[in-house]
Amino acid sequence: MHEMSIALEICRIAAERVGQDRAPTVRAVGLDLGQEAGVDPDSLRLWLDVLLADPPFHGARPEISLRPGDTLKLSYLTVDDDGP
Amino acid sequence: MTVRTIDVRERVMARNDELAAEVRRRLGAAGVTAFNLVSSPGSGKTALLERTLEALGEELDIAVVTGDVQTHNDADRLARHTSRLVQAVVTGGGCHLDARQIGTALDAIDLAATRLLFIENVGNLVCPAAWDLGETAKIVVFAVTEGEDKPLKYPRMFREARYAVLNKIDLLPYVPFNLDRAMGFAREINPALEFFLTSALTGEGLESWFAFLRGQAGTRPAS
Repeated sequence: MHEMSIALEICRIAAERVGQDRAPTVRAVGLDLGQEAGVDPDSLRLWLDVLLADPPFHGARPEISLRPGDTLKLSYLTVDDDGP
Repeated sequence: MTVRTIDVRERVMARNDELAAEVRRRLGAAGVTAFNLVSSPGSGKTALLERTLEALGEELDIAVVTGDVQTHNDADRLARHTSRLVQAVVTGGGCHLDARQIGTALDAIDLAATRLLFIENVGNLVCPAAWDLGETAKIVVFAVTEGEDKPLKYPRMFREARYAVLNKIDLLPYVPFNLDRAMGFAREINPALEFFLTSALTGEGLESWFAFLRGQAGTRPAS
């Protein structure tokens, strides 16, 4: 139910990091998602697909790794310095 | 093509948790005990609060923040039982309250004149478990008209809660609900959970709930 607001927060953190790093293109957004985090992975992926279609992401791919426990972490960003 | 990986490792809830820590600091500085009431829709959170405000609203200087989704109905009901400000946080379709909303609500509450704060969360046993609001403890309200296995279906909420109110016990003769089984399931998930058995309608069991609240409320500052 709250996957959209979580996806927005993930994009906010990612955009902040991309800005700090001056990376031109994000290829992938890596997430650690605990099975007890109360977040549905399919729903989260759907919202991320929608939100990552727009700048500064240009269609970056969400990569969700399921973990035990209730972790919910933006783990890494894969970026391409040669632009879109 | 130069593809590289930026290590981020940032918790998605980090910002909410920072705001929750600030709420907790403000409540602590003012000596306010805050309970976050969570439950499914219809378990009797508002009715329990109405009875609590009637009995203890003045005595314990209770303030309430309520999280109606589409209406002001809960706030209107509660306003009949307290002269204290009821700050409604209408979440417009949201499924939970977050720490930012509570921080904003606190701006409108005279914390120095408050000893006990109730936050009535949105009726939902999933999402509110993940959002720390800066409360002293979560209290899960669970009605005997629900399934006995609610704790097993929503383990995170029962793990996060420190207290459980089993409400609507006046209906026990009419519903196939086994109290021992339900409490056993809840203790499987959270052995430290403390229970109150109440009927907000008939008043049964409310005395021990009230005694608990008297013991938990912050102390009135010496004037």
